Order: sequence, then structure tokens, then C-alpha cells
Amino acid sequence: MNSESDLILKVDNLQTQFHLSRRVVKAVNGVSFQMKRGRTLGVVGESGCGKSVTAHSIVQLLPKMGRIVDGSITYYSSNGAVELSKLKRNGSEMRAIRGKEIGMIFQDPMASLNPVFTIGHQIAENITQHEKISRAAAMERAVEMLTMLGIPQASTRIKDYPHQFSGGMKQRAMIALAMVCNPKLLIADEPTTALDVTIQAQILELMKEMQHKYGTSIILITHNMGIVADMADDIAVMYMGRIVEFGTVRQVLGSPRHPYTRALLQSVPVLGIAKGERLKTIRGSTPDPSDMPEGCEFAPRCDFATKQCKTVPADTDLGGGHRVRCWNCMGGLTT
Amino acid sequence: MLKYFTFRFLSIIPMLFVVTIIIFIGLQLTPGDPLTYLIPPELLASANFDLASYKKAMGLDAPLYVQFFRWFSGMLQGKLGYSLVDGTSIATMLGHRLPATLELAAAALIISSVLGIVLGLISSVRQNSAADYGNTVIGIIGISIPEFFLGIIAIQIFSIKLGWLPVGGRLDYGESGFLSLLKHVAMPALVLGFSLTAALMRYTRGTMLDVLGKDYVKTARSKGLPEWKVIVKHAFRNALMPVILLLCFRLPMLIGGTVIIESVFGWPGMGGMLLNAVSAKDYPVVMIATMLTAFMVLLASFLVDLLTALLDPRVRFD
Ligand SMILES: Nc1ncnc2c1ncn2[C@@H]1O[C@H](COP(=O)(O)OP(=O)(O)OP(=O)(O)O)[C@@H](O)[C@H]1O
Ligand SMILES: [Mg+2]
Repeated sequence: MNSESDLILKVDNLQTQFHLSRRVVKAVNGVSFQMKRGRTLGVVGESGCGKSVTAHSIVQLLPKMGRIVDGSITYYSSNGAVELSKLKRNGSEMRAIRGKEIGMIFQDPMASLNPVFTIGHQIAENITQHEKISRAAAMERAVEMLTMLGIPQASTRIKDYPHQFSGGMKQRAMIALAMVCNPKLLIADEPTTALDVTIQAQILELMKEMQHKYGTSIILITHNMGIVADMADDIAVMYMGRIVEFGTVRQVLGSPRHPYTRALLQSVPVLGIAKGERLKTIRGSTPDPSDMPEGCEFAPRCDFATKQCKTVPADTDLGGGHRVRCWNCMGGLTT
Repeated sequence: MLKYFTFRFLSIIPMLFVVTIIIFIGLQLTPGDPLTYLIPPELLASANFDLASYKKAMGLDAPLYVQFFRWFSGMLQGKLGYSLVDGTSIATMLGHRLPATLELAAAALIISSVLGIVLGLISSVRQNSAADYGNTVIGIIGISIPEFFLGIIAIQIFSIKLGWLPVGGRLDYGESGFLSLLKHVAMPALVLGFSLTAALMRYTRGTMLDVLGKDYVKTARSKGLPEWKVIVKHAFRNALMPVILLLCFRLPMLIGGTVIIESVFGWPGMGGMLLNAVSAKDYPVVMIATMLTAFMVLLASFLVDLLTALLDPRVRFD
């Protein structure tokens, strides 16, 4: 089932740290996962758990103080496997992959477009960087892309500057920018958090359509469980820089085995929730990553913690690719 | 947009008017009467000298505001008047001196903007490197050491000790070539522009560091653009505007600085003329010289507006 040929990305024991002047922030602490072609991986977790840092590590777009200190990131291109974490940050090999093989949509679409260039120019620039193509032809493709994403009169709007676009339109422009070269892998970091719910649904629908059309694999980062249930094939639940539960949507949402995943699911409002019934919150708050608890990092907030949880839990494989990082996952969890 | 800028340009005239009134009043307030300089004291003391008719002939008997309007309307028509001290036409004086000052100021402006921006860029891209620390030291020197002192040191080193550059002046006798001009203007222009260079460098560095942390720079990198393109095209294009604003705001200081630098380097410009005129209470000359400075300041602020509009797509006039 896991034959290498249908893998697009393999991340193994990724560790990323920020070396600040006084302390070291361990943002990602040994993340491992595999992604198959054409599928969507949803990455969920509380704010600050390391979702964005993981995404940025893959394409080496970390801030200056950020460093991949250990682990490997293997990208399977059509010309064979490439070890991304060993490439030079802004070297030509890494740059040939960025934009062309792996497209990125960042968390804040409002700030992700350059205010002094037209939308068309910014989208076309991605094409001209990777293909031998005339400026005019690139613009043409940018127009096509925006039209496909539902921007009316794209051929004139393309001459607009970002400030002339609404938030939803900027988000579409960002998707167009990231997808215009038909990347094999699209990393979308909370692409819809800044938008209202109807536009959010539209944008996600568009991403699905594009995926169907081009067979793109998508890493979708969000803290919205509803979006994950709707969009993803696989789910990685992150807590404190680690993946605590990984599996298909059916496995993780259908029979969540990690207490954190369960708590997360119970804290999501569901339509038709009985009136007066209260949403559960996870007690306590995320500890500071520079001050990790000993053993299982979720133990201090866990209702099921035992003595064993003072030691670092191992990944338990529950079969079918479902793995959980918890001592008590084999049963005994009752809610 | 053209309409706006025509209007904006024409509005310089009323502002100049206000500035000249202030200068005029200021000069009236300073002690001393120009006549006491103009007329020999013996004549003034002699019994048959008719001061009133003399004043009348010179137009000095009219009320102050009439005097002022006469002067202002004359100036607008290009009648700049005559020096009280030696009677030469001010227009002729300016014809000789203004080009020299403009040349010095322009050279200083070009040198310091290119140098300041390039060094600032290097500092921001190689933050905390040896080059960055070196630039910081230059910056502190530039901001803290007065220009005339720097000028004297520069003459000591480059002209007297090393003999590379002339001590002063604009052209050697009998010479006219561009090279000779360059040799003469290099040192005064560098000294004059030194603090501007330092300021621009610090400011470019700061603005660039700020811009380099922006998400759109990350977007540019995510397209696989080479690093120079990310920095020069995507980042610097955004840092340019505040830097140009700083440049324009500092322009008046640069022009003011010429007065001292010109006398340190014996540069035959407006600076020397203004110094002589002030000490001799030659007020027609002082009026014209300060007014020209005011004009350049107003022009600089006009340029700020113009460049802001041209560089920032978000600025619109409709
Ligand atoms: N530039 C940085 N310098 C220092 N620490 C950082 C930096 N960027 C991220 N971190 C730290 O790394 C950790 C993970 O951050 P990350 O941005 O990946 O969170 P996230 O899961 O994406 O959260 P959110 O849902 O809020 O986007 C956080 O503890 C954060 O404080
Ligand atoms: Mg994030």
C-alpha cells in the first residue's frame, strides 16, 4: 500500500528550532508523516502547535533564526527523490522546486501580495520564473486562472493593485499565484481563516475543483475541524510540535484515540447541538515550547493521565496507517 | 493627477510670499539702518545734508508694507535689485554664484543617495556582519561630527598630506575640463553629503529590515525568484518610498550646509555671498538669497508629493 511510487512527500523526524538571542524555541519536535499523490492531508491543532513552522520547513521559507536541526524531508519529483532539507535555502535547486513543484498559500492573504505590483504581474511572475514564455502569454494564463477562480472581468482586474481587491479576491489571487504553474503539491496554510463563511466555502470548493483537474496533492493547515472533515483524506493532529495522532479521516474523526483529538472534537460546535448543552473546552493552556513538561506533553491537561505518562510515549500503530502517540490509546478512554 | 500637481506647484507662490514677509520683518527688526552703511558718516553729520529727501529718492520713506510690495512685485518681474554695498546687480551676482552652489548640492545629493542607499541595502541583507558593523561606525561618525570639522580633516589628509585633491576652489586657472571639475567638487560634495549619507544608510537599513520580514517577501521567495530579485525588486521597491521621503526632507539641510562647506573649501557659491551680505547688512542680497533657499525647500516638499504619487499605487487624486 505504501509503495514509494505513489508517495509525493515523506517527512521523517523533522525538528525545527528558532535560535533567539536568549533562548531556543523548539517549534517542531520530530514530526513524521507520508503523503500520497493526489490526496489531501489536513493538519490540525491549537494555535502555536507548529503547523506553520512545519509547512515553512518543507520549502525552507523559515525566518532567519529558524533552522531545521534534524530529520529529513523527501520530495518525490518526476525526476526522482530530492532531499529538501539538505538543499541550500535560496539555492537554485530549492528555487526550481518553489512555485513550480510546490506551491504555497500563506496564512494571511492580505499581507501576502506586494502592494506595489499589479495582481497580474505578481501571478505572471511565477510563470516567467519557471517557463520560457513571453510576458504577454504569461498574463494570458494569469487571466485564465483568475477567471477559473471566479473573478469577474479578470482581463481588466488583472491590472489592479492588491488594495483594489477585496479580501476574498486577494485570497483567490493568492490561490491563482500558487497554482498557476500546476504544482504537484500545494501547501495551504489556513487559506480561509480571514474570510467569512460563505466565501470560505467557495474558496475550498475551488481548491477541490483545481485538485480534481490537475491531480494536485494538498496539505491543508487549519484549526477548523469542519473544514478538515469536508476536505481531507488524511489527518494529522499536532500538539506542541509533534503529531499526536495520524490516520485517515474515517479513523481519526470516526474513532479518535488520542485524548487531545477527542477534546478537540468536543470543543467544536456541531449543528443541532442541544440547546443549553455546553461546549467542552480543553482545560489549561498550551505550555510554552521553551518549557516542555517531562514525558507526554499533553499529560498536564489530560483527564486520563497515569503514572506512565511521566515517560515519553511511543507511537502506537493501530493498523491501517492509524497511529497514536499515547500510552492509553488501546482502550480505557471513556468520556 | 496633472491638475492636482499644477495646482500644487502654483501654490508655491503664495507660500513664498508668506516666507518673504517673514524674512522682511525679520530684517526690519535687526538693529541698524542700511543708510548708515551707505552714506559716509561725515556727510550724514554735515548740516546741509537732507536725509528726508535722500530717503524719498530711495523709496525708504514709504510705509513698510508699500516698500515690501514694491520689492516683491519687482522680484516677480525679475528685478532683483542691487547690492547696497557695491551696487552690482543681484541678478549678475546670482548668475555667477547660483550654478556653483547648485553644482555642489547636486553632486552631494547624488553621491550621498547612491552611497547611502547601497550601503544601507548591504547592511540590511548582511545584518550583523562585519560590513554592517562597519557601516554603523560610519553612520555614527556622519551623524555626530560637524561638517566643517570633517572638511578641515579631509583637506588635511587628502590635499595637504597626500596631495591627491585640490585644497579648494571650483576650477583651476585656465582649466575647464570635466575632469578638473570632478576633482574639485569630489571632496566638498562628499563632506557636504556625509551626514545625509549616514542618515540614508541607517534609514534604508531599518526600512529594509522591516520590509524583509513582510509576508509578500516570503511570497516572492515562494515563487522561486532568485534572491537578488526578491531583495531589489520586491523588498527595495517598497522600502524606496520612505527613503525618498527622508531624502526630500533632508534636502533643505543639505542646501543650508552649503553655506559653511563653501567657505571651508573656498567654493565660489551662494554661501560666501550670503555670509558677506549678512555681515554687511546688505539686505537686498540677504532677501534674495534666503528667498531662493526657501524656494528650494518648497520645491523639495513639492517633489515629495510628486514622487509619493508616482511610486505608490495606493495614492490617488480623484
Ligand atoms: N519567527 C519566530 N521566532 C520565534 N518563534 C517562533 C517564530 N515563528 C514561530 N515561532 C514559534 O513556533 C511555534 C509554532 O508556531 P507556528 O506558527 O507553527 O504555529 P501554528 O500552529 O501555525 O499556529 P497558528 O494556528 O496560530 O497559525 C510557536 O510556539 C511560535 O511561538
Ligand atoms: Mg500558523
